[in-house]
Amino acid sequence: MERRCGMGARTVIEPLYVCVYVPEFPAQAMLRLRRDLARLPAAVLDGDPPLEQICSVNKLALRLGVAHGMTCAELDCFTGLSVLRRSRVEEHGAREVLLDTAGIFTPRVEVRPMSGCAFAMVLDMTGSSRMFGAVEQVVGSIAAKLQGLQFVVQLAASANFHAAVCVAPSAISAPVILSRGKEAEQLGRLPLAALRLSEQQADTLALWGLKTLAELAALPEVDVVVRLGQEGKRLQLLARGECPHLMVPEEAVFALEERIEFDAPVELLDSLLFVLGPMLDQLILRAQNRALALASVTVKLGLDGGGEHQRTIKPALPVAQREILLKLLHLDLQAHPPPAGVVGVFVSAEPGDRSKVQLGLFAPQLPEPTRLDVTLARIAALVGEECVGRARLGDGHKPDSFTMERFTVPDAKARKNSPNHSVAMRRCRPPVALLMQREGSGLKGFTMRGRRYAVEKAYGPWRKSGQWWSPEVWSHEEWDVCGKANGGETLLCLITHDLLRNHWQLEALYD
Amino acid sequence: MTEYIELHAASAFSFLEGGSQPEGLVRAAVEQQMPAMALLDRNGVYGAARFHASAKENGVRAHIGAEIAAADMGERLRPPLWLPHCHGVQPVRLPLLCTSRTGYQNLCQLITRFKMREPGKSEGSATLNDFAEFAGGLVCLTGGDEGPLAAALTRGGEEAGRKTVQQLAALFGQNNVYVELQRHGDRAEEWRNQAAMRIAESLRLPIVATNGVRYATQYEREVLDVFTCIRNKTDLECAGRLLQVNSQRQVRCARTMRALFSDVPEAIENTGLLSQRLEFELGDSGYEFPRYDTPTDEPMESYLRKLVAEGIEKRYGPKRNPGLMQKAKKQAARELELITKLGFEGYFLIVWDIIQYCQRNDILVQGRGSAANSVVCYALEITVIDPIEMDLLFERFLNENRSEWPDIDLDLPSGDKREQAIQYVYTRYGQLGAAMTANVITYRGKSAAREVGKALGFDEETLGRLSGLIGQWEWRKKDETIGDNFRHAGFDIGHKRIAKYVELCERMQDLPRHLGQHSGGMVICQGQLNKVVPLERASMPGRSVVQWDKEDCAQLGIIKVDLLGLGMMAVIKDCLDLIPRHYGDAIDLAQLPADDPEVYKTLRAADTVGMFQVESRAQMASIPRNAPTKFYDLVVQVAIIRPGPIVGKIMHPYMRRRQGKEKVTYPVPELEPVLHRTLGVPIFQEQLLRMAMVVGNFSGAEADELRKAVGMRRSLEKMKRLMLKLRDGMTANKIACETQDLIVQSIESFALYGFPESHAASFAMIAYASAYFKVKYLAAFTCAMLNNQPMGFYTPAVLVKDAQRHKLRVRPVDVLASNAECTVVEEEDGTRSLRLGLLYARGLKRRNADALVMERQRGGMFRDVEDLALRVPALNRSDLAQLARIGALNSLPDVGHRRDAIWQIEQVSRPVGPLLRQHEAAGQAAGSPLRMMRNEERLIADYAGTGLTTGPHPMAYQRAELRAMGVLSARELQQQPDGRYVCAAGCVIARQRPGTALGFIFLSMEDETGIANVVIHPDLYERQRVIVTRAKFLKVEGKLQNQDGVVHVKAERLELLEVSAIEVRSHDFH
Repeated sequence: MERRCGMGARTVIEPLYVCVYVPEFPAQAMLRLRRDLARLPAAVLDGDPPLEQICSVNKLALRLGVAHGMTCAELDCFTGLSVLRRSRVEEHGAREVLLDTAGIFTPRVEVRPMSGCAFAMVLDMTGSSRMFGAVEQVVGSIAAKLQGLQFVVQLAASANFHAAVCVAPSAISAPVILSRGKEAEQLGRLPLAALRLSEQQADTLALWGLKTLAELAALPEVDVVVRLGQEGKRLQLLARGECPHLMVPEEAVFALEERIEFDAPVELLDSLLFVLGPMLDQLILRAQNRALALASVTVKLGLDGGGEHQRTIKPALPVAQREILLKLLHLDLQAHPPPAGVVGVFVSAEPGDRSKVQLGLFAPQLPEPTRLDVTLARIAALVGEECVGRARLGDGHKPDSFTMERFTVPDAKARKNSPNHSVAMRRCRPPVALLMQREGSGLKGFTMRGRRYAVEKAYGPWRKSGQWWSPEVWSHEEWDVCGKANGGETLLCLITHDLLRNHWQLEALYD
Repeated sequence: MTEYIELHAASAFSFLEGGSQPEGLVRAAVEQQMPAMALLDRNGVYGAARFHASAKENGVRAHIGAEIAAADMGERLRPPLWLPHCHGVQPVRLPLLCTSRTGYQNLCQLITRFKMREPGKSEGSATLNDFAEFAGGLVCLTGGDEGPLAAALTRGGEEAGRKTVQQLAALFGQNNVYVELQRHGDRAEEWRNQAAMRIAESLRLPIVATNGVRYATQYEREVLDVFTCIRNKTDLECAGRLLQVNSQRQVRCARTMRALFSDVPEAIENTGLLSQRLEFELGDSGYEFPRYDTPTDEPMESYLRKLVAEGIEKRYGPKRNPGLMQKAKKQAARELELITKLGFEGYFLIVWDIIQYCQRNDILVQGRGSAANSVVCYALEITVIDPIEMDLLFERFLNENRSEWPDIDLDLPSGDKREQAIQYVYTRYGQLGAAMTANVITYRGKSAAREVGKALGFDEETLGRLSGLIGQWEWRKKDETIGDNFRHAGFDIGHKRIAKYVELCERMQDLPRHLGQHSGGMVICQGQLNKVVPLERASMPGRSVVQWDKEDCAQLGIIKVDLLGLGMMAVIKDCLDLIPRHYGDAIDLAQLPADDPEVYKTLRAADTVGMFQVESRAQMASIPRNAPTKFYDLVVQVAIIRPGPIVGKIMHPYMRRRQGKEKVTYPVPELEPVLHRTLGVPIFQEQLLRMAMVVGNFSGAEADELRKAVGMRRSLEKMKRLMLKLRDGMTANKIACETQDLIVQSIESFALYGFPESHAASFAMIAYASAYFKVKYLAAFTCAMLNNQPMGFYTPAVLVKDAQRHKLRVRPVDVLASNAECTVVEEEDGTRSLRLGLLYARGLKRRNADALVMERQRGGMFRDVEDLALRVPALNRSDLAQLARIGALNSLPDVGHRRDAIWQIEQVSRPVGPLLRQHEAAGQAAGSPLRMMRNEERLIADYAGTGLTTGPHPMAYQRAELRAMGVLSARELQQQPDGRYVCAAGCVIARQRPGTALGFIFLSMEDETGIANVVIHPDLYERQRVIVTRAKFLKVEGKLQNQDGVVHVKAERLELLEVSAIEVRSHDFH
């Protein structure tokens, strides 16, 4: 429905959909917060070094000749070009800002997938003329709001959802408003690429010699359906601006987050915990409203003088008990205290299913998971988190190559496969440095902790080396040594020689 | 001092389980002063020939053996289950060494037995029965970590180990089993060694120390690790325990080994003793070429004489020249005497037998190479060149002192006919009596770049980019490396990971990757070939392949017959069918009218597109200068455009002399008879041989030795010695120093690449036939060329345009008229035109094309699109769409234009159910709403759908605009004076950067009037790389070079021309 307002010739289109198209989104997402760079040619790199490629550029860079897909080395010939690395976090932030801003105008916003690196969302502005005025005003206000946030956007408005989406990428110089009933005419000039065709559809339509939407729209509908099926009909409706759409508004993101700012820096942990308690309460409550618990809690502490201190705790099972979480945070922060006074706290949590543990009737009594968590956290606070868990052997020749993984209850099968051998040796943690005295290629004696040992017997060297392709290259020799001190004391030990650094160390003692 | 012999080394011919070439191992042995070494590659003797040759050259004794996979002796040692690893299950391998020729023959038979048992190409493994059958003459070691003892000890402790060794002793004999000790600095290995020593003692078996060598030097462990990743399809980060634990498997010197085994000195001592037992050397393989069973059991010698005598009558009778016949008989007698003396009768009879088979079965065959020097070959119809008439030098083919066998190459039409001839040889000599020679596929630029990239964990996209960069140009600057290629492509080679990558790529070059089969080389053996070299299955069904390539075979005196596929032979064969059928002329290849003036006129005009050997750009640029008027001129023409003559700067003197611009002189008057025919400029290998004989007093055999020495880069010493002798001879003949230098330089530059005159003559024969057919029977020739693609220098698009310029009407693909192949059509006006075949529709399978033609022949013409779709259900939517797109349905009634057909196809390819069929029929009558294709669209469809267009050339549509821009056509360029600044444009059909042209690039551009040539200076190329390598259409400005009918534009400015978005393919970089 279209009607004229009483005052002037302002149009009101109903329903009304406004598509906001943000070209070169990765570049825009980064440059909006870097105003100094925004005035210069800038490009955004994506990929793993050294094989990154340009994924997005600003207008000035485009004018300079920078194109998508260029490599780092190819950029060397452009002077004055700022090169940034793509940041998904900032893109996420920018997306949130865009959606948030859209939320000012309407609660019904749908994000559309777009080809390339653009971002697009459609605002359902139906029935908003009383609040925002005629279409031109609506579009103008949205554009002004977003431009104020340093976004370059292209806008299109139409009574048809898809028509707005199709037109927006071509609305470069000014917003386009499709008059109701004349969508087909206005869409007709667009190339077929405006429709997001599948590869097969694009091939078929190219074979038919079609170039614009008007040409597609003009084909007899029955003939198209006979040839392309219902999908053909849909494409024609899209080309005419008549395709119906069931709007699926973006749901407000369920994010368990709480933030607080302090007037003065907080130095004491207890005071901090005093604030953290109610924040956790809030989060737990919100989670429980959805029958969830907290799987992990991240605390980001804004520090006095800039900087941030972040800690995350992950209980073995999602929990909803304030005391446990607070205790875990307490222990963690005790082990890793913030380096400066805290000026703000941001707490976020990941929701998880509430713990359900079915214990067997005859199974041995296990420690209560939540209490075990607290115990482990206590240990971790003492020894460091990377030292808690269970070690898993790595597939490699490097001795002691292992990774730490969280404790899990080993199943019966795994137990069966456990090594059936026993090495009667005691590892020295950390290894003890020693001074070695050599005789030709053999070992003569060594000094350790101020004590001198003569080598009576030595077996070796056992040689190992690896990772020659990476900076972690290593090469060492091992010796099984029987050393005798002056006092007659005998030492049966394993001695290693790091060939790259020329270090000698006592690795282990044989029983 | 006790010496140490490495008795367990593996080279890179253990495909992906060894890191060094056999030559590298020998080099290391020499450096470590090791008097002998044994090579034991995995399941074969692939590297043995090269190992043997290199060892012989370096005074090292080469022992031969192999590690043989044993199916019934358990799994190979793997890390224990509790250690994370990704080792797969493999059978243990027995290291076997050959003590005698019997042992070697047994080893070859053993390998052949289990390899041929497999249904296809695969590793395979031997059973205990196989070992028992072929154990004679072999010594078995108990192996390192790949061996049966290590596996048994780990599996079942010392008791299982003892049982395994006892089993080996029972198989190979108590005296032929050695308990092997290896020490690489590994605890578990040492535990096994201690157990092995106890077992050896208890069973009274000798122990022997080896280092289980997998690479020559420690540095090469990295290559082996990369190979391990390739073999296990993983990358270095994930390979874990599959990789080498340390770098201790190199060739170690006696001192190190003695120190390492100081507790068991007898283990070192025994290496020397065992080495003495290994008497076998590879030169003594017992190879014998098969005898030919004559039909009447008469001796081969007299049978051959009889055949040659008959052949001479047949060949020379029609020539009616008693003098020539007399000479031929005399030469034949001389040749036969030598053949008999060398015992080669069987060889000639066998080749004759193959020729006879081909003739009986309508397979066109022609011998080439130095065989054409022999009148015996001519009489036996192996070759078609008369060596007497052409005064060719027999010694180049065969002489008494030649250490190698004569080499006869047979050219056959590519495809089924050649396969038929190959299968005949298999049938005639049995599966174990004949096999193809191998072709060792080595890591080259692209494959190395890809595999190393994978091992370093690069993702698929990066790999594609990296490997796409390498090896595009034939020519590389002197100092251009793989690294430069990467830098040009935008990679930072200063980055550590990239630097390591580039380094590994360079180190991988030329290392063997796997065994392929040679395109046509077959070896045949008296008795069983599988006693000489192991045979295995090739990936192609019905083919078996020996484990050596043709150089290895030649070096070990194994004779081979090359059955080569030559596209032009197939074209000629097709012409021989088409011409009588469509022109009514009977054609006998041997009796083609010689020296036809029209043919030579065409050749002189460089109008040679499609003609064998004379169609390349370089040939076109020189042929007007040489202006051939008779067959021998063509022989020179074929030989002259070779890298050799250009290096020697000899091409120009010949041309200048030919044009009368330079006086014909001879270095010394004695050489006049030798060089007379080539105007005093040596061009052929035979002339070099004769020069050496005349001026240097060389014998025929010595001259041939000189030719080969110059040809092989490795025999520098030998060449120096021969050159010295040549100079001595020349000094003795009182030849001035400067003249000597001139002669020596000619020899050096020519022998490397020069053609044998006989070979050039054989090729010139084919070139003449192709030129004759093209000039006289263009429709048949073009039809045959198009039906035998891919071949030759130009794409079908260029061939068609060239034929059209020569007034041949080429009709497009048409479902109502085309056969699967292209055909010659006789028009009503008596002319002949060419109809493109259905197979030119890209993506259309032969089966479907045949089905369409059969249905048309059976049920008559198709009434409309629906009729076609219904009657040929094999055609799916995409086939029909392709046919419609290229206009092949336009002749159907109711089809207005291509899009009209497309519109109809979209409907018929989606048939509706019976319920709606009636309803649908009503709506069908209306015409298509799609508009007709424009010219540009039609061109794009033609090129995308068939690779060519039968309509006007893309450039023709732009001519008016081009003329306004001052652009000249190819024909107009011909009329411009030399030195004028011109502007030309065209579609790029060929890009070349020949190795001998100092970085210059030659482009050929085609327009509707012909082909224009462009020369691009290396500086201009550096500036406009992308345009030069990528542009489809180009506008070139520069000075015109128009000399002696050869026209070039020396480009000064290049510009991309937007003519059409067609997908043209150019012939690049060859």
